[in-house]
Amino acid sequence: MIATIPLLSIRNLHVDFKTHDGLVEAVQGVSCDILPGECLGIVGESGSGKSQTLLAAMGLLHRNGTARGTVDFQGHNLLAMSRNELNQIRGRDISMIFQDPLTSLTPHLKIGTQMREVLKTHQQMSGLVSDAKCLEWLERVRIPLAGQRLRQYPHELSGGMRQRVMIAMAMLCDPKLLIADEPTTALDVTIQAEILDLMDELRRDHGTAIALITHDMGVVARMCDRIQVMRHGVYVEQGSADDIFYRPQHDYTKMLLQAMPRLDGKSASGRQIKPYQTRSEKAEFLTVSDLKVHFQIKNGFFAKPAVLRAVDGVSFDLRPGETIGIVGESGSGKSTLARAVLQLIPPTSGTVTWLGSNLTTLDRQAMKQKREDLQIVFQDPMASLNPSMTIGDSIMEPLRIFRRDATKTDRKLAVAAQMQRVGLEPSMINRYPHELSGGQNQRVGIARATILQPKLVICDEAVSALDVSIQAQILELLGGLQAEFDLSFLFISHDLSVVREISHRIMVMYQGCVVEMADRDDLFRNPQHPYTRQLISAVPIPDPDIEKSRKRLRLKGELSSPLDPMARVRFLPSRMGDEVPYLPKLQERFPGHFVAEHDPLEDLVLDDEPELERDLTPS
Amino acid sequence: MLLYALKRFLTTIPVLWIAITVCFFILRLSPGGPFDGERPLPPAVKQNLEAHYNLDKPLVQQYAIYVGNVLQGDLGPSFTSEDFNVAEQLKLGLPYTIIIGGAAFIIAVLFGILAGIYGALWRNAWPDYVLASIILLGLILPSFLLAPIFQLIFGVELGWLPVGGWGDGELRYIVLPVAVLALPHIARISRLMRGAMIEVLHSNFIRTARSKGLNTGPIVLRHALKPALMPVVSYLGPAAGYLLTGSIVVETIFGLPGIGRYFINAALNRDYGMVLGTVIFYMVLIVMLNLIVDILYAWLDPKVRSQ
Repeated sequence: MIATIPLLSIRNLHVDFKTHDGLVEAVQGVSCDILPGECLGIVGESGSGKSQTLLAAMGLLHRNGTARGTVDFQGHNLLAMSRNELNQIRGRDISMIFQDPLTSLTPHLKIGTQMREVLKTHQQMSGLVSDAKCLEWLERVRIPLAGQRLRQYPHELSGGMRQRVMIAMAMLCDPKLLIADEPTTALDVTIQAEILDLMDELRRDHGTAIALITHDMGVVARMCDRIQVMRHGVYVEQGSADDIFYRPQHDYTKMLLQAMPRLDGKSASGRQIKPYQTRSEKAEFLTVSDLKVHFQIKNGFFAKPAVLRAVDGVSFDLRPGETIGIVGESGSGKSTLARAVLQLIPPTSGTVTWLGSNLTTLDRQAMKQKREDLQIVFQDPMASLNPSMTIGDSIMEPLRIFRRDATKTDRKLAVAAQMQRVGLEPSMINRYPHELSGGQNQRVGIARATILQPKLVICDEAVSALDVSIQAQILELLGGLQAEFDLSFLFISHDLSVVREISHRIMVMYQGCVVEMADRDDLFRNPQHPYTRQLISAVPIPDPDIEKSRKRLRLKGELSSPLDPMARVRFLPSRMGDEVPYLPKLQERFPGHFVAEHDPLEDLVLDDEPELERDLTPS
Repeated sequence: MLLYALKRFLTTIPVLWIAITVCFFILRLSPGGPFDGERPLPPAVKQNLEAHYNLDKPLVQQYAIYVGNVLQGDLGPSFTSEDFNVAEQLKLGLPYTIIIGGAAFIIAVLFGILAGIYGALWRNAWPDYVLASIILLGLILPSFLLAPIFQLIFGVELGWLPVGGWGDGELRYIVLPVAVLALPHIARISRLMRGAMIEVLHSNFIRTARSKGLNTGPIVLRHALKPALMPVVSYLGPAAGYLLTGSIVVETIFGLPGIGRYFINAALNRDYGMVLGTVIFYMVLIVMLNLIVDILYAWLDPKVRSQ
């Protein structure tokens, strides 16, 4: 390879933040080069300083942050520039896209206004020329009805569309470097796959170098030529993608790769769930049949309310000591299903039978008694704990409600024992949630949910907000609790790889319905439904050779709104013309392997025509 | 947007009706009447008077008559003034109140917002601290204290401005009352604005705007101002209310012939008709201002509109 002059070279960069707790050294002397046209991955867990490094280079630190060192871009030190000089470069030569496309676009300005101001600032372009250029880029990032989008507000677009708008806006002036800070973390896997494809294409067609900041080794494997692994403010390892994935040197890199759950089941950790075996022969445990949760959506004062079918006829049964994984993308109804099972949302129809009694017909008092055995762990550990209660009090609360006769010391002892069981120091009993890390708080959530030794625990995205290393520990903990107490789990997640790690059986949901349900290995070895296959093919695998050679399955049709009654026949277009919307039925294609009716895959696969993604407008 | 405005307008009707009803009965239930002076009137005279003003009828009937009149824009007779009924008295006082209150409102909003933005951009530097101290002063001094202090300094000691009266409506007569009325609101608005602006400047979309290479001017004016105005706008409704009630004190201290003075006189003379009329008038004004605030809100935030 010819030695090329780096586009951006960072030398000995330090970033400090002045906080109330003193000086925080977020980045401690890192150096790296970004070459023209390459994709550099910067990976690390939360708090490693991976974002701050490049924010500092762009002069975008918070007011309390200072950067030292040099960031050389085409012979100029960006850190020494005045704000005006820097503004010549930002948005023109180097541009950025961010994690959350909704909050990263100005909510009260139309897409067109936000795009045009870039051209006005950097190229003194305005009027029709400017409009044409914006339109051209919106079309290049494959946004349907681009002309209309210019006049829309960000909240009128779906998450994937917003991120495309961000990319189009960042590319307007043909930048030499695009910095992408967790660009797909907030998106569904199928949308993530499309956005990554798009970024890859832009790099090939325009020679734009990309600095990709992410926590996801799968995304890195898919996109990057070279990788920097960052931890606690320093680069612990750097090298080509092959070096990092196949010949990792540093322990931290090895740990990251091991902790990452893999869809192809080749997790290096060797973590295995116990194959399911029933200990108790009780047939009656949890049976959900034809459960529906519909919401009335009012669309204005006089309009007839529309019906949102969040859960639309879901049936399954769970056995003692079993884990069912429920996967689906945002809006698939998986969380609503969980809440309806626990009667936290009243179901519209259907039954939930728990140990022989129908929960949907119980009164409040009787339901309260049942809750002793039915617990839930939520996604955001910090937000679901009361900030004004010590973690000890939070864990003890179920005992106060259901173990009235226990003495104070008994309860204290039980809490201490429970804390030890979930890997928390009992001495932390008087701490508050804000004093703990995300992983520790989730342990508190789990301790609280399991202290009564319930029979069923629902985990609603319980590990989704955590770093991979913490995620692995929490999964380990859940597995251990299951083995110890014969617990059953309903494990809800958008992340197929995580669900694969922990579940005995897996249920795939789309638009409120189950499209496929099977034993874990059957589902991954022999996925039947086109949607399942699309999901599986969209999840990146942390292995560059496998990842770069995989072909992604892209399906025809659009991600339709759950308000649309035709959404349910997306995979059965032959019934699209029906008068009464047809509800595809689950069929047992192999023993224990249920698949919703669908048309043959060949009829659904997208050829290379531009995809038609209609907007999912939140209303 | 128009539909939204109409909808909001319709909701003001029950609010006004409930408010009128409550005020009517509370006033009637309070002991004493307009004709219970220090020297009792001869019973026959009193009876005649009460019959003239319908005060001898059952309370419910009085209420029905009153509401009926209000719907026709007639706020009823004043019990103490033969020559002017309530509506006419309000009409007399209104221009003065509007000029003083309106000027104070505009000045409070303008200076408040500017001071807030300034404080946010220069936060924790000395201009911010100076501003914060002045603002604190405006917040802690009530207008009945601020007014005599201003009169003393600018009227008596320095002799720059008259201490009271309306004169011919010249500017120098208006300056002090408007300043006294506006100062606390400048203080509140600027604090709201500063806080909101700082928060907005920390948000993700401002980071995006900076990453696009925009200068501070367009970032603040185009991207940050509208969302930062939201708490200020929601304060404007209550602020208008405070201004109206504040104007009662200020008009009395500065001897201005506005509605506030009529109101005080009426209250002291137990002139139910006048008190009730003034209260209803204030209420309509406040409800309408709140309505405008809500519509402004919808303009600021496209999400409110589509809901």
